Amino acid sequence: MFQNRAEALALALPAAIFAATVFLVPVVILLSDGFRAPAGGWTISAYTDFFSNPLNQAVFLRTLRLGALVTIASAVIGYAAAFAIVSLEPGAKGKVTGLVVLPLMISPVARTYAWIVILGRTGIVNQAFQALGITEAPLRILFSETAIFIGLLQLFLPLMIISLISALENMPKDAIPAARVLGANWFQVFWKVVLPLTKEGLVIGGTLVFTGSLTAYITPAILGGSKVLMLETLLYQQVAVSNNFVAASVIAFILIVMSFAANILLKRVATARNKQRSPQ
Amino acid sequence: MTARSLFIPITLLLVIAFLIGPFLIIVAASFSAGETLAFPPQGFSLRWIAKVFTVESFRASFGMSLFLAIGGTAAALVLGIPASYALSRYKLPGAEIVRTVVSAPIIVPGIIVGLALLRYIVVPFQVGITLALFLAHTALVLPYAVRVVSASLDNLRSDIEEAAVLLGSSRLGAFFRVVMPNIRGGIMSAFILGFVTSFNQVPVSLFLSGPGVRTLPVDMIAYMEIVFDPSVAALSSLLAFLSIGIVFIAERFLGFSRYV
Amino acid sequence: MSDASYLSLEKLTLAYGDSVAVANLDLNIRKGELIALLGPSGCGKTTTMRAIAGLLPVKSGHVRLDGADITRVPANKRAVGLMFQSYALFPHLSVYENVGFGLKLKGMRGTELDTKVKSGLKSVGLSDFANRKPAELSGGQQQRVALARSMVMEPKVLLLDEPLSNLDARLRLEMRTELQRVQKETGVTMIFVTHDQAEALALADRIVVMKSGKIEQIGSPEDIYNRPTSSFVADFVGFENIFPLENGKMKTSAGLIDLSGHLSSGAPSAAGLAWRPRMVTLGTGPFQGTVRGTSFAGDSREYLLDSAFGPIKAEVEASRPTHALGDALVFDLPAEKAAPLSRFV
Ligand SMILES: Nc1ncnc2c1ncn2[C@@H]1O[C@H](COP(=O)(O)OP(=O)(O)OP(=O)(O)O)[C@@H](O)[C@H]1O
Ligand SMILES: [Mg+2]
Repeated sequence: MFQNRAEALALALPAAIFAATVFLVPVVILLSDGFRAPAGGWTISAYTDFFSNPLNQAVFLRTLRLGALVTIASAVIGYAAAFAIVSLEPGAKGKVTGLVVLPLMISPVARTYAWIVILGRTGIVNQAFQALGITEAPLRILFSETAIFIGLLQLFLPLMIISLISALENMPKDAIPAARVLGANWFQVFWKVVLPLTKEGLVIGGTLVFTGSLTAYITPAILGGSKVLMLETLLYQQVAVSNNFVAASVIAFILIVMSFAANILLKRVATARNKQRSPQ
Repeated sequence: MTARSLFIPITLLLVIAFLIGPFLIIVAASFSAGETLAFPPQGFSLRWIAKVFTVESFRASFGMSLFLAIGGTAAALVLGIPASYALSRYKLPGAEIVRTVVSAPIIVPGIIVGLALLRYIVVPFQVGITLALFLAHTALVLPYAVRVVSASLDNLRSDIEEAAVLLGSSRLGAFFRVVMPNIRGGIMSAFILGFVTSFNQVPVSLFLSGPGVRTLPVDMIAYMEIVFDPSVAALSSLLAFLSIGIVFIAERFLGFSRYV
Repeated sequence: MSDASYLSLEKLTLAYGDSVAVANLDLNIRKGELIALLGPSGCGKTTTMRAIAGLLPVKSGHVRLDGADITRVPANKRAVGLMFQSYALFPHLSVYENVGFGLKLKGMRGTELDTKVKSGLKSVGLSDFANRKPAELSGGQQQRVALARSMVMEPKVLLLDEPLSNLDARLRLEMRTELQRVQKETGVTMIFVTHDQAEALALADRIVVMKSGKIEQIGSPEDIYNRPTSSFVADFVGFENIFPLENGKMKTSAGLIDLSGHLSSGAPSAAGLAWRPRMVTLGTGPFQGTVRGTSFAGDSREYLLDSAFGPIKAEVEASRPTHALGDALVFDLPAEKAAPLSRFV
């Protein structure tokens, strides 16, 4: 540790000042706009206005719902996938993990775009359904909550799988055989042994997936269209279509509060377990 | 075969199909000979891949995105390396505040960053869109730069710098002679991570576009709204292979995944 | 500059923020001397070395080297070498490049550089390892590289902070000899820090014993070993029977015991007396004790006695008749053998 304060500040301040002026100050001013009364002073009327509009309520609830559903689905699929990957031979494990993270390198525009081809009126899914006689007319899958759900799940599932892989790998090797020897069935093994021991990884993955889903823009924009909005696409519309910067500030604030709340809440879930363990 | 031994291959097959399949479809669709984007592709041709290179706006926005990804990441490293060094080697007053401020852009949704920048920097100070995009992308990459570089600095003993000084080097000289060569892998990994992040970034750039000034992903979205031909698929495939290629090479030569 | 003060520390005070680690330290070292800094953990040994090297700013006082005041001279201009406990080799450079690092900075190039580096490597027996990276060397070899890297710079003073503590027992002995040889061959002034009194006694021309940021005693190994001047040093070098003295009377848990009949001249003015276990006579003498413990140590046997002085530790040859627990014994603390202590803390 070097002691020289002046040197330390000279090194650290450019980055800090840059981030503060380009990012922090403008964002804080933007967030404060929603609390400013037109005649001066402060008010929360923009917030009561926002939430009294049923359309906005629907968007808000849809955002929460999609965030929760995507998180839950990615946790369920993530456990199955992570289990399968962890049980592979080392060589195969590396390759499969590579395939799982590969999508993260691809532009989200490209990844979302693909779903149009798959889910569209003449897309593969509709072709298959009609060929199999399941439906007669093409289903409208695109521009729906389902489409957004599928797109978000594909976007964020890799993050959950990676978190769970490292959690499973850090689990004591003998935990599962020990529980089996003691007579636990597979369901009990998962519920009583694996879940508590990998909770931290689940929480990290869950936070990434949930906040990612809340704040994703491209997926709802492309797969939800202009009718099925989430908070981010609503924010964009408020600015680009309605020029309503107060509403944009309100939505921005709600998004940030939701992200932070999710972060804190999930972190608390993770530390609750640490407290239980610490007396040993 | 028991139920359990089937579980692993089937799960992996389904998950990988779900994650990679759409990308493969896009790649296949870009070789279509048909007029509209469809799968299975109608015939085989390279016309859409060729077309990508002739669309004027793609060329311009690709140049812009490349400039932002390279310039923004370089700027983030120029700011981030000294800051990481201060955080890891000095008793810095307010270290936690500095750390929070420089890593904050990762927490706040990009669309908000872009809008805030537009409203309170671009408009009041008459900042050009290109400069604004550059600032935004630098701020966006800064958290990654600090995180990756800090991690490699923390893995490097600090007494080698003192040893270098005692052998006659200045403090700055010691940094370039014995610190930089040993964190080069981390810096290059930070660069690649920053490059990919910046290049694929949409929300920050959404509001920051002007006549003829757009990033490539934003341009692709705009193009798709007007023309629904396979050229965007072709472009997506090309970009994806570019990203994958870069990361693959980085992994081979740097062990990229150790750093990120 | 007198010959006795090639390197001198004058009223040196060193601090980390507001907490003072070394206070008012005075020390003079002759050219070519090999000094051992001995003391318990946290007493300020590393702090002192870092200040001499210029890595820690001096709060007050002066450091003089070879006639010049170097208190404010930056570390890279001091011609002071420091060998780190961790060796601090540059991991990205080969052994050859590590050794040549400082020479190149001095502007040395070509055959002059090559000759110098090669002879440096040869002197530590590493000529065949020139192209290896530090990670491909054993601990002892890394240590030699660090030594060569410092020595080729021909420093005026070479500081070594616990140079041998990372090595196993056999290598320690080997490196100890190596250090001594290099010092004798080059005549470099050396200060090394150690926790190990045997190491200090074996290597050093003079030993400096430190305690809580101050010097307790400076002396030759014989002085320190046989004539500790304070109870702290006596305890540190293995005197286990240490008692305070007041007007010729020894203070014990059972009150004052008059020793005036036993004490040689000069000693009564001392603040305390100390005996090694081996100096205690068993079987004859004026004092009474009861055996409370006994242990066999190969050539000798140790007894712990309860006495009017409190516990007494005695060591006798193993061939002597043994005593059982609870036996009553007479013993003597021979006054002529006692080390008189001028300070009792
Ligand atoms: N970087 C630091 N910041 C604050 N206090 C320090 C620092 N380094 C050392 N100290 C304090 O200064 C005092 C002397 O430390 P120093 O490292 O010099 O001891 P030492 O004699 O080398 O001990 P050891 O034998 O354990 O190496 C100790 O009380 C220590 O706690
Ligand atoms: Mg020390």
